[in-house]
Amino acid sequence: MVAFNRFVFAGALTMAAPVAAIAAPPDNTIIVGLSADASTFDPAQISSRDNSNIAKHIFATLFKVNFEGEIEPELVDKTTISDDGLAYTFTIKPDLTCEDGEPLTAEDVAYSFNRPADKASAFTGNTPGFVYTTLGFKSAEVVDDLNVTVNLTAKTTLALGMMAQVYIHCQDSYEAMTVEEAASNPIGSGSYRLASWERGSEIVLEKIKDPGTFDTIIWRIIPEASTRTAELIAGNVDIITNVAPDQVGAINDSGSAKVAQVDGTRRMQVGFNLGKGVEGMPGAKEIQDPKVRFAMQYAVDVPSICTQLLGTECTRMTSLVNPPNGNPDLLPIPYDPDMAEKLLDEAGYPRGEGGTRFSIRLQGPRGRYLNDANVVQAIGQYLNDVGINTEVELLEWASVYSPLLRTKEMGPLFFLGQGGVTWNPLYDMSLFSTPDGATNYQSWTDQRWFDDWKLAIDADTVEAARPVINRMLKLFYDEGPWLQLYFQPDFYGVSNRIEWTPRRDEEIELFAATLS
Amino acid sequence: MWTFIIRRLLQSAIVIIGVTLITFTALQMSGDPTYLYVSERATEEEIQRTREALGFDKPLPEQYLTFLGKLAQGDFGNSLSYKRPAIEAVMDALPATLELTFFAMILAIVVAIPLGVIASLNRGSAADGSVMTMAMLGQSIPSFWLGIMMIMFFGLQLRILPISGHVPFIMPLIQGNFMQALTNLPQSLYYLIMPGFAVAFYSISRNARLVRSSMLEVLGQDFVRTARAKGISESAVVIHHALRNAWLPVVTMIGLEFGFLIGGVVVVEIVFSWPGLGRLVFNAINQRDIPVVQAAVVTLAMVFIALNLIVDLVYAKIDPRVKL
Repeated sequence: MVAFNRFVFAGALTMAAPVAAIAAPPDNTIIVGLSADASTFDPAQISSRDNSNIAKHIFATLFKVNFEGEIEPELVDKTTISDDGLAYTFTIKPDLTCEDGEPLTAEDVAYSFNRPADKASAFTGNTPGFVYTTLGFKSAEVVDDLNVTVNLTAKTTLALGMMAQVYIHCQDSYEAMTVEEAASNPIGSGSYRLASWERGSEIVLEKIKDPGTFDTIIWRIIPEASTRTAELIAGNVDIITNVAPDQVGAINDSGSAKVAQVDGTRRMQVGFNLGKGVEGMPGAKEIQDPKVRFAMQYAVDVPSICTQLLGTECTRMTSLVNPPNGNPDLLPIPYDPDMAEKLLDEAGYPRGEGGTRFSIRLQGPRGRYLNDANVVQAIGQYLNDVGINTEVELLEWASVYSPLLRTKEMGPLFFLGQGGVTWNPLYDMSLFSTPDGATNYQSWTDQRWFDDWKLAIDADTVEAARPVINRMLKLFYDEGPWLQLYFQPDFYGVSNRIEWTPRRDEEIELFAATLS
Repeated sequence: MWTFIIRRLLQSAIVIIGVTLITFTALQMSGDPTYLYVSERATEEEIQRTREALGFDKPLPEQYLTFLGKLAQGDFGNSLSYKRPAIEAVMDALPATLELTFFAMILAIVVAIPLGVIASLNRGSAADGSVMTMAMLGQSIPSFWLGIMMIMFFGLQLRILPISGHVPFIMPLIQGNFMQALTNLPQSLYYLIMPGFAVAFYSISRNARLVRSSMLEVLGQDFVRTARAKGISESAVVIHHALRNAWLPVVTMIGLEFGFLIGGVVVVEIVFSWPGLGRLVFNAINQRDIPVVQAAVVTLAMVFIALNLIVDLVYAKIDPRVKL
């Protein structure tokens, strides 16, 4: 009997202990459910959005992009720009420290900039890859304890925004670590420190200084959307990302959470591949004609795609630039299949036998963007309706679609979403900085655009470049290589326990989150 | 027996080389891997420099031989996503998958055998019908759907089981932290219940049917009739005579089961946020993280080969007719 009682007691304990583990989070803790784990915390290697969302709580930056999409100083007190625009000297705030107590000086800032650029280390993160390429980073030099100069190869108004993506850390700490150690033992300069990282399960951050409302931030890795939703409704997590449109109702009706929707900065488009990669394919010749491209804009009912397939109304695109930085004179092209047919007739592509004007292939990824497969099929049907015989092909992203993109062999029509920003229109436009640039997937070579690009990027300020920018955006509107769709809406699940507003740029910033 | 083991190990080496060749070829077919190592805005010169630095400009056979040479030293290269040795990422994830797979396997045996025996002893009865109905359902319901339904019912409605997550047990053991493992054990089991059952349900159903049919066949044989005629109790007849003989096909199935269960855990690991190898491979394939895919596939092949070898040895032990 004693043995039996012990057995029952042990069983009760076994059950009781875990129940405590799935209780609601304490008041000083906020829990976020993410779809993907961080891959590294080495500031020179971080590349994905989910990863940088966590890292931004560990590492401070010289500048930051605030909620309104404007750039504001974070570690910097004063900025001086040389007359030629190639040297930025920053005076950093005094008495800064890293997580381990080491004083953070200009030497550390210079190190933070130079380390990712070290060719011998061959870092492949966002900073050496994307940021420095766009920025034209050359070197960083110490002036004195509080002053550091960052040298660029070319003048650009994108400089401060790009520098806002460089994580600042202390030299001594990082020189004492191997690259492998740096990947999992970040020593940051921000408000939180990495307390634990159970790969694939959860990442725990502990607050070490202001700003930050919660003492503990837990990032739980929950890949499956319906599981994230269940955890949110059950009250086990406070914020979830990438809520599927079909789960919005369940969350809103749960009484424990609600869905917060925001118009993202990701620009959804159908790209026209005008390059050699699809030369000779059906439809490739026809879309070389800007009139055909413009006519196709009228053929697709974007508002219906948004309401029916994305479950919301979207902000329509009028150019590749995020609002409010676009050309205010441009209006979204309405759905008008009759106009599309008229313009296609005028362009010299009347309906032939069987009602077909010409044939073309539309490729799209599956599972990469919000409801992408259905959106692509809907677009294909709209094009069929105006006589463009469209063969829809859905492809796996990583192993098929992405390589085709990189080698510019997709299409001739291809569905794509590209991230953007709100702090400078030239960032969004930099996709087309050169005719053969890597991000010019459409191989658009209109010389008027590239001549104007040089003028715009040379201007001292965005305001000074505005007339040129507006002219470029009008050209893009009329003859550009995109069938412009919408800015992808982002859906977050937010527990009633907390107050938090999502940002447009997919960044999850928890410093200002509070309990309700 | 040693001759048998050595012969099997040599065969295993050939199998593993075959596995590496298939994974290497399949992953190379999906395009130039250089693009995975450079940024979106890399220039042609940067791309070419990276291609040469990584050896991707060399002929494929040469690349494969280099890969094999490194593999012999346990070097699969660095993960593109995790920026650390691929084999480390695999070894970190493997314990969680083994926990889930072993738990599911135990469920598949412990639940299936009594069900199969009960069904066979009560052939044609309501109990038999219930077991067979359950078995049919178990073989028809996809594990991910079952997982989501269990989450909705036990996790969300009744709130008696955790919706997702994992508490490690094997990893602390490997690290030599036995107290931590022991402390974690209750929670580990608690978190294993739903994903373990979701993985095991198909196997429980299949094994129950197998035990039932095997038992029915054995129960009709002369030696069972003789045992009963000798006055041996029914439980002794069933356990010591019938079940022991019905056990052989079940053991064979259990050996194959492990490979099946490991394959089946991929989807369940994603549904229950289980940080195991299946999820790692799934993500690696999505991100074209070639080193991780190769490391994981080779590791799984080795685990599978080792288990099959063990099953063969066990088979020889319990069936005197089998000679190695």
